[in-house]
Amino acid sequence: MSDKPTFSIDLDSLKTRRKDTTPESQGRVDAAGEQHGFVNREPNRKRGRQPSPRVGQVHAKVMPNVADEIADEAKRRGVQQGVIIEEAWVLYKNR
Amino acid sequence: MPIVTVASPKGGAGKSTASIILATELAHAGAEVTILDCDPNRSISIWADRGTLPPRINVRSDVGESEIVKTLKQQDADGRVVIVDLEGVASRLVSRAISQADLVLTPMRATTLDATIGVRALALIEEEEEALGRAIRHAVVFTMTRAIKSKQHTAIEKSLRGQGVDIITPPLMERAAFSALFEFGGDLRTMPVQGKMEPAAENASAFAQAVYNRLVGKGL
Ligand SMILES: Nc1ncnc2c1ncn2[C@@H]1O[C@H](COP(=O)(O)OP(=O)(O)OP(=O)(O)O)[C@@H](O)[C@H]1O
Ligand SMILES: [Mg+2]
Repeated sequence: MSDKPTFSIDLDSLKTRRKDTTPESQGRVDAAGEQHGFVNREPNRKRGRQPSPRVGQVHAKVMPNVADEIADEAKRRGVQQGVIIEEAWVLYKNR
Repeated sequence: MPIVTVASPKGGAGKSTASIILATELAHAGAEVTILDCDPNRSISIWADRGTLPPRINVRSDVGESEIVKTLKQQDADGRVVIVDLEGVASRLVSRAISQADLVLTPMRATTLDATIGVRALALIEEEEEALGRAIRHAVVFTMTRAIKSKQHTAIEKSLRGQGVDIITPPLMERAAFSALFEFGGDLRTMPVQGKMEPAAENASAFAQAVYNRLVGKGL
């Protein structure tokens, strides 16, 4: 097979043509599409906060002062209490 | 920058294959080509990642309906061609991509079902021409055709021509080399031999030339 192009392209003839991109014309295009069943088929992007990956649970009864301290620390840092427990667990494993 | 929008609501009509053949042939002949992969299934991106992209081709993926018009405007430059590959569905994204096109290409297998569904794209183009007050050039290309034309093919072609539809010749024949584009990436020159390469290459080139002639306004 030959590597030579079998036809030549005149780059100067590949000219930009102006297209109508005003919101009004796009509105008319969308309406024309809708009439022929060419409708919005994109999944809605999820709004708001993404669900937390923290779905595991521990069942821990602790002394009231420990519960208070964990709660206070979580509040101070603005994290879930589970984050404190995860960090404590890492420290425990590396002890 | 001529924009070629490849559109048919029929799945598996040969849109992505036609997009790749057109892009690689035009780039080989010296044009800068951008392919916008507007299909969430990302066929073109998969092709691009399979092999090395041929020179002068670049691919942009994940272009949705809210970005399409702006993206096409950004790609605006003389001397290059933008090819928009779309998912085989009737969507607002398809309708918006058509509104910005210099040429809409509708690939169609020569079967009654494909023609029936493919014709919906033609009806939409007509409606958009009215909405925009400009003519949008469009053409059908038959795909996966056999050396011997089926009766169905002849009948469909006659009916479309009768309605004044522009039909690109040559059609894209059914070729092992064409379906192998997705397997190896790259173009017909870089892939290992698949069936008869010479006729496949000739077919691809003649098809691209026929599209090019329409882009520069040369005879039908
Ligand atoms: N001319 C051809 N010769 C051989 N195989 C082809 C040809 N055209 C397309 N195919 C094969 O047919 C299948 C569908 O083609 P393609 O992916 O191009 O269609 P499509 O219209 O882009 O589909 P979708 O609607 O899913 O985007 C693919 O497996 C492709 O390799
Ligand atoms: Mg496709």
